[in-house]
Parts: sequence; structure tokens; C-alpha cells
Amino acid sequence: MKAYGIRSHISRRIALAGMAAAGILAGISPAQAADPIKIGLIASLSGPSAKSGEAITRGMTLAITEINEAGGVLGRPLELIRRDDEANPGKGLIAARELIQREGVTVLFGGLQTPVSLAIVPYVNQIQVPFMGPWAAGTPITKNGADPNYVFRVSAVDEIVGVALVDRAVSVHNAQKPGLVLINNPWGESNEKALIAALAAKGMPNAGIEKVEAKDVDVVPQLTRLKEAGADTIFMVANVGPSAQVMKSLERMGWDVPVVSHWGPAGGRFSELAGPRAKTVEMIQTFTFSGNDNPKADEKLAALKALFPEIESAADVTPAVGIANAYDAMHLTALAIANAESTDGPAIREGFYAIESYEGMIKTYEKPFTPEQHDALGPNDYVFTRFIDGEIIPIE
Amino acid sequence: MILSLRSRLSRMVKDPRVAIATIALLTLVSIILATQIGGYFVFILALMAINLCVGVGLNILLGLSGQISFGHVGFFLIGAYAVGIATLAGWSFWIALPMATLLGAVTGGLLALPALRVSGPYLAMMTIAFAFIVEHGAIEWRDLTGGQNGLMGFPVPEAFGRVFFEMEMAILAILFAGLSLVLYHVLARGHWGLAMRAVSDSEVAAQSVGIDPLRVKTLAFVLSAALAALAGGLFTPLQGFISPGSFPFFQSILFLLAVVVGGSRTLLGPVLGVLVTVLLPELLSGLAEYRLLFFGGLMLGVLLAAPRGIMGLLQRVLIVEDPKTAVASGMPLSELVGRQGAEVDLAVSNLSISFGGVRAAQDVSFTAEPGRITSIIGPNGAGKTTVLNMVGGFYVPDSGTIRLDHDLAGKTAWAAARAGIARTYQTTQLFEQLSVIDNLLTADRAGALGMPFGPPPSDAARSRAEGLLAFVGYDGPLDREAAALPHVDRRLVEIARALATRPRVLLLDEPAAGLSQSDKEQLALLLRQIAEVGIAVVLVEHDMGLVMGVSDDILVLDAGTPIAHGTPVAVRNDPAVLRAYLGDNDYPGRPRTAPWTGERVAVLGAHKLVAGYGAAPVLQQIDISVDPAETVAILGANGAGKSTLMRALAGLHRPVEGSVLLDDAEISGTEAHEIAAHGLALVPEGRQVFPELSVRDNILLGAFTRKDLDADREIEALLTRFPRLRDRIDMPAGVLSGGEQQMLAVARGLIAKPRILLLDEPSLGLAPAMVRELFDTLADLRDEGVTILLVDQMATLALAISDRAYVLENGEVVKTGTASDLSRDTDVEQAYLGAAE
Amino acid sequence: MIASTLITGLGLGAMYGLLALGFHVTYAVSKTVNFSQGSSMMFGAVMGYTFGVTLGWPMPLAILAALTCCAVLGLAIERFVVRPFVQRGSDLWLMATVAAGIMLENIVLFTFGKEPRSLPSGWADEAIEVFGAGAYPLQLAIPVVGVGIALLLTLVQTRTKIGKAMLATVQRPDAARLVGVNTRTVIAASFAISTVFAGIAGLLIAPLFNVSASMGTIFGIKAFAAAILGGITSAWGVVIAGVLYGCIEALTTAYLGSSYTQIVSFSMVILVLVTVPNGLFGTAGLKRV
Repeated sequence: MKAYGIRSHISRRIALAGMAAAGILAGISPAQAADPIKIGLIASLSGPSAKSGEAITRGMTLAITEINEAGGVLGRPLELIRRDDEANPGKGLIAARELIQREGVTVLFGGLQTPVSLAIVPYVNQIQVPFMGPWAAGTPITKNGADPNYVFRVSAVDEIVGVALVDRAVSVHNAQKPGLVLINNPWGESNEKALIAALAAKGMPNAGIEKVEAKDVDVVPQLTRLKEAGADTIFMVANVGPSAQVMKSLERMGWDVPVVSHWGPAGGRFSELAGPRAKTVEMIQTFTFSGNDNPKADEKLAALKALFPEIESAADVTPAVGIANAYDAMHLTALAIANAESTDGPAIREGFYAIESYEGMIKTYEKPFTPEQHDALGPNDYVFTRFIDGEIIPIE
Repeated sequence: MILSLRSRLSRMVKDPRVAIATIALLTLVSIILATQIGGYFVFILALMAINLCVGVGLNILLGLSGQISFGHVGFFLIGAYAVGIATLAGWSFWIALPMATLLGAVTGGLLALPALRVSGPYLAMMTIAFAFIVEHGAIEWRDLTGGQNGLMGFPVPEAFGRVFFEMEMAILAILFAGLSLVLYHVLARGHWGLAMRAVSDSEVAAQSVGIDPLRVKTLAFVLSAALAALAGGLFTPLQGFISPGSFPFFQSILFLLAVVVGGSRTLLGPVLGVLVTVLLPELLSGLAEYRLLFFGGLMLGVLLAAPRGIMGLLQRVLIVEDPKTAVASGMPLSELVGRQGAEVDLAVSNLSISFGGVRAAQDVSFTAEPGRITSIIGPNGAGKTTVLNMVGGFYVPDSGTIRLDHDLAGKTAWAAARAGIARTYQTTQLFEQLSVIDNLLTADRAGALGMPFGPPPSDAARSRAEGLLAFVGYDGPLDREAAALPHVDRRLVEIARALATRPRVLLLDEPAAGLSQSDKEQLALLLRQIAEVGIAVVLVEHDMGLVMGVSDDILVLDAGTPIAHGTPVAVRNDPAVLRAYLGDNDYPGRPRTAPWTGERVAVLGAHKLVAGYGAAPVLQQIDISVDPAETVAILGANGAGKSTLMRALAGLHRPVEGSVLLDDAEISGTEAHEIAAHGLALVPEGRQVFPELSVRDNILLGAFTRKDLDADREIEALLTRFPRLRDRIDMPAGVLSGGEQQMLAVARGLIAKPRILLLDEPSLGLAPAMVRELFDTLADLRDEGVTILLVDQMATLALAISDRAYVLENGEVVKTGTASDLSRDTDVEQAYLGAAE
Repeated sequence: MIASTLITGLGLGAMYGLLALGFHVTYAVSKTVNFSQGSSMMFGAVMGYTFGVTLGWPMPLAILAALTCCAVLGLAIERFVVRPFVQRGSDLWLMATVAAGIMLENIVLFTFGKEPRSLPSGWADEAIEVFGAGAYPLQLAIPVVGVGIALLLTLVQTRTKIGKAMLATVQRPDAARLVGVNTRTVIAASFAISTVFAGIAGLLIAPLFNVSASMGTIFGIKAFAAAILGGITSAWGVVIAGVLYGCIEALTTAYLGSSYTQIVSFSMVILVLVTVPNGLFGTAGLKRV
């Protein structure tokens, strides 16, 4: 059984839209008590980031299935409605408007790319619908200056990751002059800021900032620049594909340099793609299915396998952080709606603050949200991991 | 009833007031929708209006001027960032928006400079590169653009005491979209719009009515860039956030798609287009990850189903042609033509040009006086058209002068046209997608187009155009698309269009080709009348009856060199001229020693063969047959249909009506390559050797369909027959002389071991010695029993080596008989040199 | 540094050249190009992975099967996406092939999977040392294969009947038909060859890179840039331009920094076209009136 029926939606939606286009539909009909509570998701469902979009879908679907089996929220089932933003902030904003104004979603999830989230943030604050971020890590998404602020997040925050990466490089690898290899996209740029700030805080120089394109086959020229500038450690911020290319290029150069990475390589295929060097990467994570003490990890993996027959092993549930973030975020959101005892945006916002404790996949959350703190994950929730035999294992 | 409804509808659609009213209504309805529907749909409406602005701009570029751009998202981005950066810096939105538009226009102009020097895939790449440079510029110029994470927090525009939220922004965008539609409408109807459409249809013809294609295309580029930037400027406050990710390259394709799917070169096409590219994806948003897949398929489907776009399809179904014909204005021709400047002689002196070492024209001098008809004649390949091309500004002469008021040698074609030199072309160059009347109106200003959004051609210009059409004798509808005109009308309209530029000199390149005898008589009358109003007429023509009848002076060229100059009578009796035309009288050709006595079982036969181009049949009910081992000639003046007949027989010209039998197999519906395999080899006009392949490869390709080729032995045999080719066997065929290429073309035909060999104008452009060699070879082949069907200008020679002949006139067989009978027939000579006055 | 950079540029550039050769083949024969060339490249790699890894066929067989699929794809594109427009004298094949590329990419996304996969090859496991720089053997093999294929194409064109028929179709279409060449078949074949070249490029780059639905798009655009840069009418021209493009990218990255790579390489395309409007090695026909 799939929780998100696509086909059933299409005809009805086209009919509705047709009516609306003709100017007949003037507003949003108020939800009936028996109607499901709609949860919107805006993410890249096609294109290069489709896998992450799929992970978020799976995490949310698992959570929604559990919630609905337990009787739903406020006696109503939850329903997931998804939109593809094609990684385009403009499309993301249109989708947000459509989901909120036309579909009448109660809470909006979304944003794989920071700019897509940034484009949506002012709108949700204006229209007062809670917006939950399960992925995009840009700092200003939650710290957006709005009051009241409707944006929450269960994901990494670049600022904090930057500090953690620098700490790791200095304490373990005794880095003096690290070099940066960043994917040329908003995520890379956001981490550039965070890493430079973290280095500055320690009074450290950098050996250079190099960018990789998503489709760079060979990163040797960039790495050669860093090597010649005297880099003694590499900070790597890139998705699994380009990260693998960085490792292959290091291998080609025969340059044995420690690599401390953001969570980008977390895809299960990193070992396959990056070759022998994959195991040397130290990678920050909020969650792994393997080597995890939390019994929920194995339990949820089994549940996922049951829900999605195409999942056969831990290697198929990637990126794990996407699933875990989305799963926890969905449960936290359900708790917030329950606390609010209504589907009213401002009430749900208060509902988030009222969450006391929740035992999630990533950790046990204690008062995860306060008016000052809209990020449920903090500096203590990160672990450094390594790829061992294709599995992500925390480093002692 | 239905028809009258359609014609009434058609007239309505074409009424400019209806167009303006439609735009006004659309705008009004959209504004009302914007104030009523609220929420999400207002936003979509605003986006549609913004996309419409870009679409209208692209419609100017693609629809009117025929240029493509994959880079318009670049201009869109520039406009969006300009407004974003400026308003963040404290500028008012109302100043930032026009500045952004201007910035787009300037960037467009800068890109147009290099971009418009190239065309086709090169232009496409140039615009793609532009889009990528702009995108990466926005990413890397971080201080200004905010880099990958973009810009946000723009102050909300305010005016009239209102804050511009989405509804107000939507109304603003709708107003701009409506305005851009009005702009398009005015532009398209005006002289610039006409010029753009003209350039898009034929740059060559556009130049010859005085239009500078580069200026026209640049304006189109600038306007479309400005509209894209304006749209970008509206996008910024509507979105409240911009980053490079908002402007993916794919968006450029969507912009283009809107125009193509809606129907380019139609006013409302882009409106329908944005429904497909903006609204439709929204309706499909429930497909989530499958949306792009579905949209791609839909895009392909729509393109296949309606290649002219939805509006194009609708027009084809709904619109009927206005049957109104030209009304003679009553003005005398002198007034209709209204010459520019004073009457001056066109003095051409010592004009020379060579192509790749071949002298195409050498020391050509003549004077064309106002009021007189000066003809340039000579056999095919004599360089007549080359001389016209130099005078008309299409070729830059190596030396010599072309003096009207001042020297025009080396000036562009449009400059020559503006100086008063108008021309027509061997193959008519009309603006195919324009109506007949519009074809003339493009020429009305002779390139002086005035302001871009000026009024449409005046009523006076229209009635002048009608007067000219009536004068040349065009009696079809003014509204007819030029592409649909029959051959005769094409000639007439082209002459009228040349006259519409108010020329001092009129160059005519074979205006009589393909005309019937009565049409030719009409044409002669016309030419005289044109000369009489004081225009210097320069005529290049093959039809000697016409030339001898109308000319005041005749210049005869042969192989690029003038060989005679004088009155018709003098030229007609000049032995050099006779030799050039009828072939070298010293060489009579070698007839068969004994008359042909073969069996009358046709190898090749045509029965009631009809073929033509478009509506005009060139061949009418042709009956011919060729028997085994027989040599048959087809004679006739240029334009009589000889080449079309050869092409029809060989399968290059399809479809044809009637029947063609090759060895009792019906081949009228068969394609050329299959006919070749059946054993028919055509040595085409102009030789058509494969220039970059070696001589050997050219010959071997002739045996493409043969399985039993003994290459070495057969090539050796051919080299014995054509000794000239032996030394050149490994050279690229392109470097061979004309005569050698002809030998090669024949050899290529022979190696196929054909059942019948067809030769189309083999002597064309060959030196006399070469002609002799060629015809000796043909006589040898005949004597060896090869079946031959021959078309050649050199009638005497062709008859000499043939057993039988057919005489073609205006696409009909007018005479047939044995070669010896026909060679004594004076009518045949007449067909070539015309009757003496 | 220069040796290492040039190895990068050569490998990448030769791959651009191979893809660009595909643009050349169809353009030369029919004045049309397949704008989904990047997707064809991806298709080759994806089919190679499917046969070789998923189905476990021996690699040579898998490669052969993948290239056969590419050829069929090329024929289908010509027949259903290009020919209908060319027959009507319309230029819309341009948009149509783009649409076909989008469809292909999305179909692969939902069938092959959303993650990049690695195509293993013994030639891309361990780096060897060349002129003091590390290189994967495959990286050095790509230029060899690229030049080899350009050479093979030239040989086929100049030495075989079919190749000469193709050249004849380009040079004098009517005369080619008159000697019995079915020009329509030749054009269809040119599309098949074009996609096979793309497939080879995809299979060559996959072990160094990865296999994914979105791998081809940007390569397709850069290869088109190379084709135009070289002058699309010249087979050797486009291969040389491809290598040049790759080297300029690598050199810009190495000496100016990666921020400038795209800006510099695309600006170069514009600059070259400003100076030589027909590309570096292209030719234009004589203007006829």
C-alpha cells in the first residue's frame, strides 16, 4: 500500500484547476471534520536531486503510515501531497502557493536546496502556515528575522556543521591550512561562508576555495591548486557523485591528504563510486542505519522494507539522513498539530513549542523547539562516520 | 453560408481595430480575474503575463525576423537582477524597471553585433553560450548578485497610494503584457515589421528592395531582449526572491516553446503558448515527479500535430483569402513609379570577376540609358547573371566601375537598391510567406523604414502598389500568399515589386523563363512601357524572340567575355553570335553512317506525363518514347520544360501524373535511387560531380547499384574513352575544368551499364573544342549501341548525332520527327534565335 | 602541474570530440542535429551498465548490446522526431529533439534509478604515472579511441562504398540519388552512427565518472559548443575543437581557478565565432543568387 496515491489525484485536480482557471473557484472550501489533514511536500522529485526527494518522501510516508494506523491526528488521517520544484526557487514558490492556497495544506514540508526554501520562507511567514525543513541547511532559513516565525527545521545547520568540521580537522588531523572543495551550488556556497567563519574564529588561514561542478569528471586541476597552495586537510562539501570524483582524482594524483566531509557522500553507493579511497573520508552525519545503538534504526529499516518493496538492504535507504530527518520532522509536526488541537497555523506554531519529549530516529527530543530555537538538531547531534564495506559506521 | 461566415470572420480577424479590441478585452478580463480569483491563481496569472512579455519579444525575433535564440533566459535574468539590485540599493522600482529594460536592450544590441553575423546552429550556440555566461556571472559576481543564494527582501513597489502585492503586481504585469501585444501589433503592421518578415523569408530579396538585413535583425534582437528584461524586472518583486537557480537554461527552451506552440508570427500565438507552458504544468503539478516526463511527451506531440502552432492551425481552418483584386489607380505609370533622382546613364566599365581562378566575367562594359532596353545575351554559363550580380551589389567585382551618380562597385546590394537599381531573379525571389500586396509594400520605402513603431503603409502606398500590380497585369487576389502563386504571377509580382522601389535602373534576369508565348508578348509590351517612363532596363534573357523584339542595344557575352555589341539586327547577323549559339558551324557533328533501323520496342516511354511546381504545370501531357540503341534529342528554348522532363523521367521530380515506363515497368511513382537501379542513368544538368571525392570515386559511385563490377578493367576502359581523365584520376573532381567534369559525369553514368543514358545539357558552358570532343564521344556511344536521350542547347549538334527529336515548347511537344527532317526545319532555328523583325 | 592538467583536458576533450563528431555526422548529411545527443550518451552508459552489471553479461557483449540500443535509438529519433519536420520544411526538429531528450532522461530516471552508479573497469582502478603526473589508463585511452574513431570515420568515408555514398549525399544529394544511393537511408544511418558515437563516449567516460540519468545534458551542450567551435562541417575540426575545449577548461581551472571555467570557455566560443563565423575549420558555401 502506498500512502501517496498519484493517479487518484490527477483527474480531480485537473477538473478543479479547469474550474479555477475559468474563474469559478473563488476560495478554499473549509475542511470538513472527516477530511484528511493535508501535509504538503515541495522537493526536487526529478533531476539530479531526485534521490534525496525520494528519501524525504519515504521518511514522511513511513511516519504518516504509522500515525494513520494509530488513528491519525485530531481523529483525522494525514495525507501527503507532493510537488516537484525542479530545484528552481520560482517553481518552489508557485508550488507553495498552490499547496497552501488551493490544496489547503496544514503544514508545508520542503526545500532540498536552500534557495528554494529561502524563496518560500517570506510567503509562509506572511500567510502563517508552518513550514518544516527536513533537508536544506542554510542558516537564514530558520533565522529569517520574521516575528512570528513559522519556519522549523529538523536537519543540519551549515553554521554548526562548519564549526564541527573545523574542530575535527584541527583536533584529529592537526590541520594548519585546510583547503576547501565545494560543489558549485547554493549549498556549497552556504558552507563556504560557514567554514570560513569557523576558520576565522580559530584564526586559521585556508589554502584556497575550489569549486566542483556537479558534472566534473576530473577534479585534478582544482586539487592541484590546493596542493600547491600547501593544503594539509581538505574540507569537502558536495553530493555523492562529485564527492566520488574528488576521491578518484586524489587517488589519481597520489595525494594522501585527510578529507573531512559534509554529509554529501551519504548515499549508499559512495564506496562503489569513489573506489578504494572512499573509506578514508570522514563524514559528518545526523543519522546512520548501520552501527546505530538506537533500536529504532533497525526497527524502522524493517518497516521501510515492508512499506517499499524495492528496498532490499541498508544500501537502498539513502540518503539515510533524509529519511530520518523527514521521519522525525513528520512525527514532531503531528505532535504539534495534536497540541494545537486545530489545523490553524498560529496554533500549530504554538504546538511546536509545546512539544515536551519525543523519541525519534535520530535522538530523543526534549523540548526541541522554543520561540528562540527553531532548529531541533544542535551541535551535539552530529557524529563523524566512515564508510566501511559500503556501510556508514560511526567513528569512535 | 458557412463560407460567407468564414470570409466575414477572416475579414474581422484582419481588421486592426478588432485586434486592438481583442487585446483590450483580454487585458480587461485578465485584470478583472486578477481582482476576483485571489490567491494562487493571481500569482499564476501574473506569471503568465510575465511569460507573455517574453513570448511577445521572442515572437518579434523568431516570428517576424526568423532568428532563433536559446539565450533569452539570460536577458530575463539581467532584468530581474537589475531591478533586484537597484531596489535593494534604494532606487524606486519605477525607475529601476525602465533602467532594467534599457539594460536588456543594450545587452541585446551588444550580443546582436557578433550573433547576427552567424546563423543557424552557429547562432543557436552563440545564444546558448550567452545564457551560460550570464548565469555563471550571476553566480560568481557575488558582491553584486548574492551568488548562489541569491537576493531577497526587496522593498515592495508602491504607487497611487497602494502597496504592490501580488494582485497589484499581476495587474501591472497584465498591463505590460497587453502593451507588448499592442506594440507587436503596431510593429508587425508597420514598415519595420514588414521588413523583418521580408528578411526572414529571403535576405537576398530584402536587400534588393533596399532593406539592410543586419539593421532589421538587430532591431528585432534588441526589442526582444528588452521585453525579456522587462519581464525579468516584473518577476523580481512578484517572487520576492531571486537566485541563479530561478533562471535555469531550460527556461529558455520553455520561452521558445510558448511561441512555437502558440503559433509564431501570429498576434495571439504567444497568449495560447503561455497557457501551455505556464498554466498546463500547474494543472499537471499533481503528477509530481512524472510532470517533466509527461510535459516532454506533450511538447513533442503538440509539435508533431501542429507544426505551425495552435494559431497557425486555427488560421488554416478558419481564415479564407480575401478575393479582392488590384484596382488600377488611373495614375500614369510615370507617377506610379515616381523615380528617385535625375535620369542618369548606368555606366558599367571593365567589370571583371573570377571565382577560384575561373574568370566568370572579363572586361565587361556597357551603358544602359534611361528609356532604353539593353539586353545581355549569351549561351548558358556566359556570365550574364554574374554581371547582374555585380551591378546589383551581390558580388564584389575584382576590378571595374559601376557608375550611376557615383561608383557603386563593391557597395552592398541594399545600397545599390537604394541608389535606384532594382532587380528580379532567375528563380523568382518573392517573400513567400507574405501576401502579394505586402510583397510590394516592403519595397515602398526602398529601405528608408522610418521609426520602428510608425504607422502602417499609407493608403496612398497601397493604391500605388495596387496600381503597379494592375499595370503588370496581376489579376489574382491581393491577399494571396506569394508561395501559392502560379509561375507567371510570380514573375509579374516580382517585376511590380522591383518597380515599387521607384528604380532608375531595372535589372531583369530571365523574366520570360517559363512563360507562354502570349505571356511573353505581354511581357514585351510591359518592358517597353517601363522603359518609356525613363527607366534604364537591363535584360538578361534566353528567349531570342523577346530579346530581338524589345531590345534597343544588345551585349553578347561568351565565356565571360563580350563578343558583340550593337542593335538586334547587327547582333543577329554576327557570325560570332551564331557560332556561340548554334554551335561551332565548323564542326557539324557526326551523324550515323546508316540510318537507324531498330525494333520499335521502347526502352523508355512517357505517356500523358504532367509535372509541375505547386499549382503551375511545367509539363503538359508529354508523350515520348526511346527505342533500344536509338539516340533521341529533345529541343526547345530555355524554360520549355526540358530539364523538368529529364528530372521527371529520372525520378528526381515527384509527384508526376501520367505514366512512365522503363522496360515495361511503371516508374512514375518510383524514387530516383530505385530508377537508377533499374538501369536509367541521368547525367544531370550542371554535371553535379561530387567535388570533394576523387575522379575514381566519382566513377565508382556510378556503379553503386551494380554487384558485378570489375572495377579495374571497367575504369581502364573508361579512361581509354576519356583520356583526359587519366592524369586526374586521383584528384578531387572539384578542381577539374568544366569539360573534364562533363566527361566525368558521362563516365559516371556509363559505368552503371544503363539500359538508357539521359544527358541534360552536356555542352553547357563548355569551350568549342570540348564540345567537339564530347559530341564525338556521344556519337561513338551511339554507334556502339547505347540508348541515349539527349537535351542540349546546341540544337544543330544535337540533331546531327540523333536519330529522332522532339521539340518542346511551353511544356508541350510541338513537333517530332527524324533528326534530318527537323534540321531542315526553319521553325527550329526560330525557337532558338527568334524571328527577325 | 601542466602534464596533469593536460591529461585531464585531453581525456575530457576527446570525449567532447566524440560527441561532437555525432553532431557533425548528421549535420553533414542532412543539415540537422540531434539536440538530445547528451541524452544519447547517457543512454549508452545506462544500457552498458544494465547489460554488463545488472544482467552480468560479459563486458564486450554488454558494450555491443548497448551500442546496438544506441543505434536503434538514433534510428527512432530520425524517423519519429526529425524526419516529420524535415519533410514539412520545418526547423522544429530542433525543439522536438530537445523534447525527446527530456523524455529519455526522465524515463531513465524512473527505470534505471535516481542514484549515480559506478561502471567498473580495470582501466580506471589504479592510477599510473605519466610525465610525473598520475593518470588512469582509461583517461589516456579516450583520446586514442577518439582519434581512432575519427580516423575510422575518415577511412569509412574515403575507403568504403557506403562511406562514399554518405559523402556523395552531402555534396550533391540529387546526383547521389541518380547513381542509386537511397539518401533517406543514408540520413537515417547517419543518425544511428551519431548516437553510437554518443554511446561510445558515454561508455568510455562512465568508469571514470558514473552512470546516471542526468549525466549527459551538460556534456551534450559542451560537445555542441565544440562542434560549432570546430566548424560543424569538418570531421577532424570538431574532434580537434573538442580536445581544445577540454584543455581550455582544464587549464582555466588550474591557472585561473574553477570559478572562471564556464565563463572563460563559453566566452571563447563567442570570441571564436566573432573572428571566424564558420568555426575554426568549417567552410561556408559560396553565396548564390
